[in-house]
Amino acid sequence: MAGQRIADFASIAPGTTRPYKLDGVDILLCNVGGEFYAIEDYCTHDGAPLDAGTLEGRCIVCPRHGATFDVTTGEALTLPAVMPVPSFPVRREGDEIVVEV
Amino acid sequence: MATELKPENTPQALLEEYRHGFHDSEEKYVFKSGKGLTREIVERISAMKDEPAWMREFRLRAFEVFESKPMPTWGDTALLSEIDFANIHYFVRSTDRAEQSWEDVPDDIKRTFDRLGIPEAERKFLSGVSAQYESEVVYHSVKAELERDGVLFCDMDTAVKLYPEIVQKYLSTIIPINDNKFAALNSAVWSGGSFVYVPKGVTVAMPLQAYFRINTENMGQFERTLIIADEGSKVHYIEGCTAPKFSTSSLHSAVVELIALEGASIRYTTIQNWYRNIFNLVTKRAVARKNATVEWVDGNIGSRLTMKYPAIYLMGEGARGEILSMAFAGEGQHQDAGAKVIHGAPHTTSVVTNKSVTAHGGKTTYRGLVEVYPNAHHSKTRVKCDALLMDDISSSDTKPTMKIDEQFATVEHEASVSKIGEDQLFYAMSRGLAEADATAMIVNGFFDFFIKELPMEYAVELNRLVKMEMEGAVG
Repeated sequence: MAGQRIADFASIAPGTTRPYKLDGVDILLCNVGGEFYAIEDYCTHDGAPLDAGTLEGRCIVCPRHGATFDVTTGEALTLPAVMPVPSFPVRREGDEIVVEV
Repeated sequence: MATELKPENTPQALLEEYRHGFHDSEEKYVFKSGKGLTREIVERISAMKDEPAWMREFRLRAFEVFESKPMPTWGDTALLSEIDFANIHYFVRSTDRAEQSWEDVPDDIKRTFDRLGIPEAERKFLSGVSAQYESEVVYHSVKAELERDGVLFCDMDTAVKLYPEIVQKYLSTIIPINDNKFAALNSAVWSGGSFVYVPKGVTVAMPLQAYFRINTENMGQFERTLIIADEGSKVHYIEGCTAPKFSTSSLHSAVVELIALEGASIRYTTIQNWYRNIFNLVTKRAVARKNATVEWVDGNIGSRLTMKYPAIYLMGEGARGEILSMAFAGEGQHQDAGAKVIHGAPHTTSVVTNKSVTAHGGKTTYRGLVEVYPNAHHSKTRVKCDALLMDDISSSDTKPTMKIDEQFATVEHEASVSKIGEDQLFYAMSRGLAEADATAMIVNGFFDFFIKELPMEYAVELNRLVKMEMEGAVG
């Protein structure tokens, strides 16, 4: 199956995120209560990287203007963001996290 | 003679009081925070207002954002750099009796009141001498009607206590704390402002104004307004007035959020005429859901520097937005105003009309944004901005931005800058008008699109005001 192993399961604590670059795409891996999700590390409002934002439950808050996204689906939850952020399939293989871009 | 120390008069308590610099009865204030902004002052404001914990947390979070955000690096940065955040009182609670004496009101404002024909009671209210406008009779009849229809209309401080569910559901969802430094500042120290909730299907027949909302914090430096029009409802809110508004505080930064749910309609009219020492840095934003309409009618006459760009997010199919704005900049003034429209859904339409007049060496800037997102197909937008220069020492800039990411959209933009026509003046003067009258007539004609959208009494006052501003304007 396609996908790239990018992290150890245990290396990212719940409630935190970590940025990676895969095939030229900046992605942000998010641990929401033990479940992993990957979105593009890019705010669709103004292009700010989301990795400096805070993860509150399943929402990530963009540090630049405060737009929020649901990291499990990529959906834009509040203005000023209008468009969803792309999300990518994530699965666990043994102790590793695999993301398909 | 020994004086008995009451608990509130112990050295410890007095020291505590002094540290925050409040209770200065000499200056007729019940409370005046010390200059500059600290976490303690934010906590103190929340405690004085007896706010619930969620609002205190909101303020403190905003304070952290305010501290971390840089100043804008665009706009009139030279003027912006004059704002000394450490030298501002962020919270002043006046007594119910008077904020300041009539003698303190500058003569030029008193003369303007005379010439505009502002009624006596209103003059004192407008200049902050009287905390309440004498309109209780009108207020009570309006209030009864609103209550019958279930419309909620009060100041924001009251809304936090009486309607916490609605406030929590909507506050800061349109303008996040992080949006910009001044929105963060407002979120940390806000006081006053209006709260309006119109239930489903209700049409509020007469425009709502802060005049009718009796409270003692009308003159807030950091007003916070939240208007929610539920499905199929309709409301018109009017803020400000044409008469000059005197204030002793130099920084005013309001946040206004409008939410028009499906099929609802909101019109928000502002006439800003702050005294000319004031920095007026305002964030105004609205969201229009499916088939909803939002209209901003925005006039900017006063202040030293205004930076204000009313925005509409058209987020449901068939939503409609209109922004009408006018600006006048005279000596030492910079009106940096504009409009933003975001088309985020199909079949949305918007119209932006902006006109500015610059005289006596003033400066106006139109700064606008139209953005059409992918899938907002069959959207239509029309932007028109015209600037009129009265002399060779005044200046005007037009900075429109258009980002169109949808192929099936219609976008029109039109802009002009012109100088007042010698031939028009000559024609009018040859018919017996004095130069000042001729100029005022031409300028009033230029602003006609805006003036005719105002309620009658405002339109009359604005016409007079334009005439006054135009005296000796042609250079």
